[in-house]
Amino acid sequence: MRRVSLLAVLLAALVGIAVSMSAVVVTAQVPEVAVKYVEGAIPLDPNSPTWADVQGVDVQLASQALVYPVAPTAESRTLLVRALHNGTHVAFYLEWSDDTRDVAAPGVLDTFPDAVAIQFPTRLGQLPYICMGMVDNPVNIIYWKAGVGAENLVAGAGYGLSPEQRDALGLARSPVSPVELLPPNAQVVTAVATYAQGTWRVVMVRPTASVHPLMAQLVPGQPISTAFAVWDGSKGERGGLKATSGWISFVLEAAAVPTPETRPVTETVPGPAKVVEVTPTWAWAAIGVLIAVIALLLGLLLGRRQT
Amino acid sequence: MRVRAQVVMVMNLDKCIGCHTCSITCKNTWLKREGMEYVWWNNVETRPGPGYPRRWEDQDRYNGGWALEGRKLRLRIEVKGEYRPPALEDYYHPWTYDYERLFSAQQFDVQPAARPISLVTGEPVDVEWGPNWNDDLAGTDLIDEDSNWAGLQREVYKQYRDVFMMYLPRICNHCLFPSCLYACPRKAIYKREEDGIVLVDQERCRGYRYCVSACPYKKVYYNWKSGKSEKCIFCYPRIEVGQPTVCSETCVGKIRYLGVLLYDDDAVEDVAREPDPRNIVPRFLDEVILDPTDPRVVEGARKAGIADAWLEAARVSPVYKIVKRWRVAFPLHPEFRTMPMLFYVPPLSPVITEGEKALGAKVSDLFPLVEEMRIPVRYLANMFTAGNEELVVGALKKLIALRAYERSLNVRRPGEAEAARKLLSEAGLTERDAEEMYRLFALARYHERFVIPTARKKVTVKGIGIVRP
Repeated sequence: MRRVSLLAVLLAALVGIAVSMSAVVVTAQVPEVAVKYVEGAIPLDPNSPTWADVQGVDVQLASQALVYPVAPTAESRTLLVRALHNGTHVAFYLEWSDDTRDVAAPGVLDTFPDAVAIQFPTRLGQLPYICMGMVDNPVNIIYWKAGVGAENLVAGAGYGLSPEQRDALGLARSPVSPVELLPPNAQVVTAVATYAQGTWRVVMVRPTASVHPLMAQLVPGQPISTAFAVWDGSKGERGGLKATSGWISFVLEAAAVPTPETRPVTETVPGPAKVVEVTPTWAWAAIGVLIAVIALLLGLLLGRRQT
Repeated sequence: MRVRAQVVMVMNLDKCIGCHTCSITCKNTWLKREGMEYVWWNNVETRPGPGYPRRWEDQDRYNGGWALEGRKLRLRIEVKGEYRPPALEDYYHPWTYDYERLFSAQQFDVQPAARPISLVTGEPVDVEWGPNWNDDLAGTDLIDEDSNWAGLQREVYKQYRDVFMMYLPRICNHCLFPSCLYACPRKAIYKREEDGIVLVDQERCRGYRYCVSACPYKKVYYNWKSGKSEKCIFCYPRIEVGQPTVCSETCVGKIRYLGVLLYDDDAVEDVAREPDPRNIVPRFLDEVILDPTDPRVVEGARKAGIADAWLEAARVSPVYKIVKRWRVAFPLHPEFRTMPMLFYVPPLSPVITEGEKALGAKVSDLFPLVEEMRIPVRYLANMFTAGNEELVVGALKKLIALRAYERSLNVRRPGEAEAARKLLSEAGLTERDAEEMYRLFALARYHERFVIPTARKKVTVKGIGIVRP
């Protein structure tokens, strides 16, 4: 009898936890950030006043679960993301705090550079697996590493393509790694970074259009999912040791129409970037915990009645 | 039994003269590249001393190799949660000299000086450390940084009378149970099926440096220019066409031997898990290294697709004779449990006691002197057999008996031949062994020292045995 009641309690608790967890995952996808359109050049300098005026969004990052060979630092971080586009290019302003400036440099062997990355699905529809995509649904990653620079990468695609397909895509005939550098003509990402007072500020710019079949195409008006990762080199983070976010949805605002005559009457002036608030994550977590507690109590009660 | 074959090196330390030709020719062949200035795939250390990188044997500091937890092997970097690889200062700051100044400096009262210049930054540097800083500095305080003093009073060996030294050339050990390979989360390191050479795939590597930390011999190096890690490639382009490695080819003392060893891959991990480290080497030699004349081994080798040319090479392998038949060579620090596949013949050394007991005295006196040699047996045992002195003594006795025997053939004093034969048999050698050993160790003809098969391994595809082109 006691065993049955224990089982009931356990089951109930599990259900509660599962409910609360699934809720967290769902809410992680919900925020939708509007990317403002600007005319002409986007400032590359992270310290430009233009960036200060752009409404940002705080993206929550958590250490990626990984046990081997070195356990990760268990902590959460916040990445401030701002974005602008000018029709041809989209720029992401990324700001996060890091007490140490870890930069790759000549003769430096024991420093792991700080880094940041943005991940995009390569096509619309079903979201790819958030941990760097899958064979049938790869991801495009733009990656900046301190002292090294920016790279345009594809992850997950390698093993799903024939040597002929890979040839055509400008990749090595046989894949060597789940993350691959796109061919030189697709290295179209630039980054400018500054570090001051314990804060990295990086502006990464990429064309809105895709220049490679495995690069994400960003179309104004269409929501585009992105995920972020940050590496803190002083904590030994490299490769899989990193802090990652869930999917965050961005929408590039439509370009301002050149002549006012053709402007439709209904159009409103693009407002500042805003986060569409649905039920916040904490609320879902609280609901989950509540369910778990109720289930636990019920289970206990049931157990007592049976004995 | 899963039979595999590997091309293995033996270094006879008795013959090393510490000339560093191996290091230089390796450097010139493979490492004259930006990002690798500080790297020596082959280096020669003067021992006792700190080695390169400094104090590399101290795993409390570097966390290399495997730790045995119960019956389970875990990477020490994992156990310690320590990820940091050595810094440039742990190796040394590579430098050259401003030679140009010697010619371009204006004529002056004093000689122009060629200042040391950093090979990394091009700026002047103060040279404060090097890859063999203590070269020939036996007995100085630098011997304190050696890790092989367990059971010995290191202060004693700073005394004039008891000072000793030896050379230790080192390359990657191309281990059977390589911790570098297991530490790589990207699986960029692999051990070649056909010849056992351990390589870092430069396409897969992303420079995470887990391997650099995990290798207890610190023989994987980070190239700061390419952002990837590199290691000794055992000169595989040369090995593949039957040529010895550059370090072997150019060795002045002809100390290096190359040959095939067959081993049982199924036995490797179990021996690596041996609870008593002192038993690792005996079990390594008995259980892992296989006899190429044993019909069961031959059958297993054929089944595994090992080509006849490799089996033939294994039968005449100088390495097999030295390592398994005569048991006079041992791996470096077997207690790191990576099962290194490079073996060292420990060096003989002058005896400490002078006068009538010195080498050249009555043959019957030679045996008891093994323990009184200048290099303490314990020191060699700490280095090569995880403290198993019996093995080292056994090897040294054989080497001494060999000398006594050869001496008896030339000196021909009454009674000396009988005494020498007695020494041989006490050491566990036959006269034929002695002759073969003498030929291999002393005459060392090129094709006897290097027996490298070139035929490729047979690969079975869908049940049909075909040889890969």
